[in-house]
Amino acid sequence: MLKVLSFLKLYKKPIYIALLLMFVELFVELLSPLFIAKIIDDGILKNDLSVVLIWGGIMIGLSFLGFAAGIINSFYAAHVSQSFGYDVRKSLFEKVQSFSFANLNRFPTSSLITRLTNDVTQIQVLVFMALRIAARAPLLVIGGVVMALIVNWQLALILVVAMPLLLLFMVWLMSKGVKLFRAVQEKLDAVNSVMRENLLAMRLIKAFLRKKHEQERFAKTNHELKDQTVTALRLIELTMPVLLLVMNLSILGVLWFGSFQVNANQANVGEIVALINYATRIMFAFSVFSFILMGFAIAKASSARISEVLDAEVDLTDGEGTSLTENTVQGNVQFDQVSFKYPDTEDKVLKDITFNVKAGETVAILGATGSGKSSLFQLIGRLYDVSNGAIYLDGQNIKTMKLDFLRKRIGYVPQEARLFSGTVIENIRWGKEDATMDDIARAAKAAQIHETIAKLPQQYETILGQRGVNLSGGQKQRISIARALIRKPKVLLLDDSTSALDLQTEAKILGAIKKQSCTTFIITQKISTVMAADNILLLEDGMIVAKGKHDDLMKKSALYQKIYASQHYEEVVSHG
Amino acid sequence: MAKHPHLTPNGSPPKTKNIWGTTKRIWLYLAEQKGLLTFILVLITVSVVLTLLGPYLIGVAVDDYIVDRNTDGLLWLLIFLAIIYVVNSLAIWLQNYLMIGIAQNTVYSMRRHLFRHLHCLPIRFFDRKQHGELMSRLTNDIENVSRTLNSSVIQIFSSVLTLFGTIAFMIYLSPILTFITLTVIPLLYLGMKWITTRTKKFFREQQRNLGDLNGYIEETISGQSVVKTFSQEEKVINQFKEKNERLKISGYWAQAYSGFIPKLMNVLNNLSFAIIALAGGILAVYDLVSIGVIVTFTQYSRQFTRPLNDLANQYNTLLSAVAGAERVFDVMDEEKEKEVENNIELPTVNGEVQFRNVSFSYDEEDGQTIFDVSFQSSAGETVALVGPTGAGKTTIINLLSRFYDPEQGVITIDGNDISRVTRESLRQHMGFVLQDPCLFQGTIRENIRYGKLDATGDEVIEAAKLANAHSFITKFPKGYDTVLTQDGGGISQGQKQLLSIARAILARPKILILDEATSSIDTVTEIKIQEALSRLMSGRTSFVIAHRLNTIQQADQIVVLNEGRVIEKGTHQSLLNEKGFYYQLYQGHLKNDVV
Repeated sequence: MLKVLSFLKLYKKPIYIALLLMFVELFVELLSPLFIAKIIDDGILKNDLSVVLIWGGIMIGLSFLGFAAGIINSFYAAHVSQSFGYDVRKSLFEKVQSFSFANLNRFPTSSLITRLTNDVTQIQVLVFMALRIAARAPLLVIGGVVMALIVNWQLALILVVAMPLLLLFMVWLMSKGVKLFRAVQEKLDAVNSVMRENLLAMRLIKAFLRKKHEQERFAKTNHELKDQTVTALRLIELTMPVLLLVMNLSILGVLWFGSFQVNANQANVGEIVALINYATRIMFAFSVFSFILMGFAIAKASSARISEVLDAEVDLTDGEGTSLTENTVQGNVQFDQVSFKYPDTEDKVLKDITFNVKAGETVAILGATGSGKSSLFQLIGRLYDVSNGAIYLDGQNIKTMKLDFLRKRIGYVPQEARLFSGTVIENIRWGKEDATMDDIARAAKAAQIHETIAKLPQQYETILGQRGVNLSGGQKQRISIARALIRKPKVLLLDDSTSALDLQTEAKILGAIKKQSCTTFIITQKISTVMAADNILLLEDGMIVAKGKHDDLMKKSALYQKIYASQHYEEVVSHG
Repeated sequence: MAKHPHLTPNGSPPKTKNIWGTTKRIWLYLAEQKGLLTFILVLITVSVVLTLLGPYLIGVAVDDYIVDRNTDGLLWLLIFLAIIYVVNSLAIWLQNYLMIGIAQNTVYSMRRHLFRHLHCLPIRFFDRKQHGELMSRLTNDIENVSRTLNSSVIQIFSSVLTLFGTIAFMIYLSPILTFITLTVIPLLYLGMKWITTRTKKFFREQQRNLGDLNGYIEETISGQSVVKTFSQEEKVINQFKEKNERLKISGYWAQAYSGFIPKLMNVLNNLSFAIIALAGGILAVYDLVSIGVIVTFTQYSRQFTRPLNDLANQYNTLLSAVAGAERVFDVMDEEKEKEVENNIELPTVNGEVQFRNVSFSYDEEDGQTIFDVSFQSSAGETVALVGPTGAGKTTIINLLSRFYDPEQGVITIDGNDISRVTRESLRQHMGFVLQDPCLFQGTIRENIRYGKLDATGDEVIEAAKLANAHSFITKFPKGYDTVLTQDGGGISQGQKQLLSIARAILARPKILILDEATSSIDTVTEIKIQEALSRLMSGRTSFVIAHRLNTIQQADQIVVLNEGRVIEKGTHQSLLNEKGFYYQLYQGHLKNDVV
């Protein structure tokens, strides 16, 4: 909690002003009963109208003063809490951007998003509340008791006893309540997740006739949610009745003992009235307590989640730099006995991988799901560091290079196109900030998407994504290819990124890539693409089981022959 | 709990088409427990009356006993007051206790009805609706109703009663002082209006900026591999800053203005307090009111500003809940899938399937999707459906499994017109492996068992082995008990597809439907699956859709579709010899090999 709250340090001054203004308000609130006592004792009982007028006027004036203070406080509090939220979000986002992939894997995407948005908002609300009412309520309670003590300390003792009892009760209730509500949230998530699953899998459920099964499953979670909610809410609803009872009985106590004091001339009527007033005010302040405690519990959990991100240690450090310059990079890639396992896992996904690729060559990587193809790609762009061995670019260990330098030389086309909302041109320009319109058109043509874009309502200015045009899978893939090509990369990584394209289009794209002299790695399922490569790596269980050209592999690898046969029947010798 | 307006900042309440109609329907749910509701209403009335009586009696106590210095009888009055307070607290507790039960029962049955109804809707409904939007109805909107029912019903009743009760009591005690006290109400109204017109605008803006920022975070974090490999961290951070800044500014104004509301309530409280003290004092000096009345008034003044505040708060909450309920009811009003009466149960089948002149369109405006389709398969045959995207392959599957019914023509199984057969009995004979494997949260074992709910552990393992899934399953530390998370994390798309094949194997259907079942499986795994599939298909009538032509070459019959029409039929070899459309497709497929 402290870690996150330390972001407030920057705003000491506005915080002090806000608190000061709050004290002004509080002051007005606490003085009013005193004036009432004055009006009754010195004015009404003595039939002195001028006292009534003076103090009544002062009260009205003060209440406007309190209002003015409250309004100004609102601006300061909003300023502090919003700027605080802004700063926390900014630091979080920057931190996440500095994360390595290993870091990122430790936090599921959805959880990171919640931490950046919801959790920050929760604390932001608490800060705002703290500067306005949260601190006010406890102060009002304490101030109320103190004032009551000043007015008549003997009678006020009743309040002094009642207060801590109530406070203990509330704290107990809340700590229990927080746990119960967490359980409610879990049950609610369960209900919603069954709903979501059913919605997504409706066709399957109908096909397998599992209506009854699903309804039973839902009935169970729905019932659990109901029971849990009822339990939690019923507990929390104890607050008001208990609070009212304790405070009202205290007031009766004040009246009872007060009557003796008045009789004994130890107290005035006004004092009794003032005390009753303080008790009422304290009671209302208390009713806000449950709120504050709840808000505090939520904010505490949120700030723990935020700190977790801020404190995460980035485990991939930047290289020192290299003697290579932009113009000297050729694109020779060498793997030297590379092994790799994902952090926090046991098994190596890549074992002892050694190969050498000359600049400009095309390498096809073939293998079953989970054989380590995508991991190998991630190592080239240094999204992860190798566990053993080393990877060299033009003879230079990539670990020693600046990440920025290395990645600027690499073009990457992921399996899923992953476009960002924005225009077509913005998406392609992602690859190269300073690309001219000509560059962009050239890349789009090479990726065989130029004509499609030209047919869009606003051509290159068409907005994509949620609020714009939805492209087909194949069109997205081609834009994502254009985005990679525009960098004029020295090493191009295609992660099964032509799967949604028909064969002719794919061939054209691969032809265009050939012309850009870059080392190309292709993960693919299509044997036709594999056959055209200069070099083939066949992976199985993280190891290279065969490498070489198509003809070599046809001779030496049984697995490769099998793959070839599965896609290429001997009886159809249409090109032979 | 929503007693503080600035904690539940609501922009403009969502539009409702039919507030009263919807409210009435919610009432019908609540009315199932009418007796209890009436009792709650009685309890609310009791507690309101008692809440009003308390300050009055305290005023009496001050006037008659303390000012008059008379302790005789004070004890009895105080005991009476104590009883009132105890009863009051009990009444408040009991009304909440009961209301929570009613509210949650209501939400429970709303959820249940909704869920039941969903399962009765035709697949057309799900194909058309956007999932995100529908999901939000099923979760957020219902949750909204739930929250409102928990607290609002009681709060609204008691606020209204308290408000009127307080005013009535005040008039009874002193009409003049009441009138003077009520002068704060117009101030309250004007103040609230001034504030809400401003907050509305800023909240809407804030909401939009927040949505924008959320979207951006989601996009960049889930696309982190692209951000990193393109080393665009700095650009992304700068764009984020811009959006963050916008949110800060709109958030600042929204929060500052909404912060006025409690301050306004406060000043009016203090003001009415001062007015009562001043005016009451003056009146008391002239003996028009007693001190006790002033004491009572100072307490009442709080009791009528508070319900006003609560009502203002509840108004927005209530409107948004009604709007939410309306969206939920909209789904419940969707027409159920019709089943023709007297439809027969399809008995055991051999698997002879025939399409006779079948035409169909999803949407009348879009024109027909498939046109005059005819073909037939004998029992046990494998039929491959081939054609470019949009040719109508999936439509044929949709019609065969009666997710949709044809507009013209007849589909028969073993000579039975399937539109005369109940959907249930039809699908009982079918097994499906769909393009999207659709797994459920739960263990791998449970997911495979979905194909046959009473399958034994051995049957599950057997099916997994046939689908070549056994080997990867046993590699997980927990094997068949590995829990699949909701987004299917931890296993690859290909592995999911293997599980869905195992699931279909377990169902042992007579007719098997494979819709792009191997599209997301790599070639090496596909070789393994092909064996499994041919084992699965033998002795069963199978319909196969696949993009990769090599997977269907061994089919007994290939039906070639283009633009919704059957243009060729035959075996792989005979179609090649025909040198028609299929030949071209196949050539196109191969041409690439020699690039």
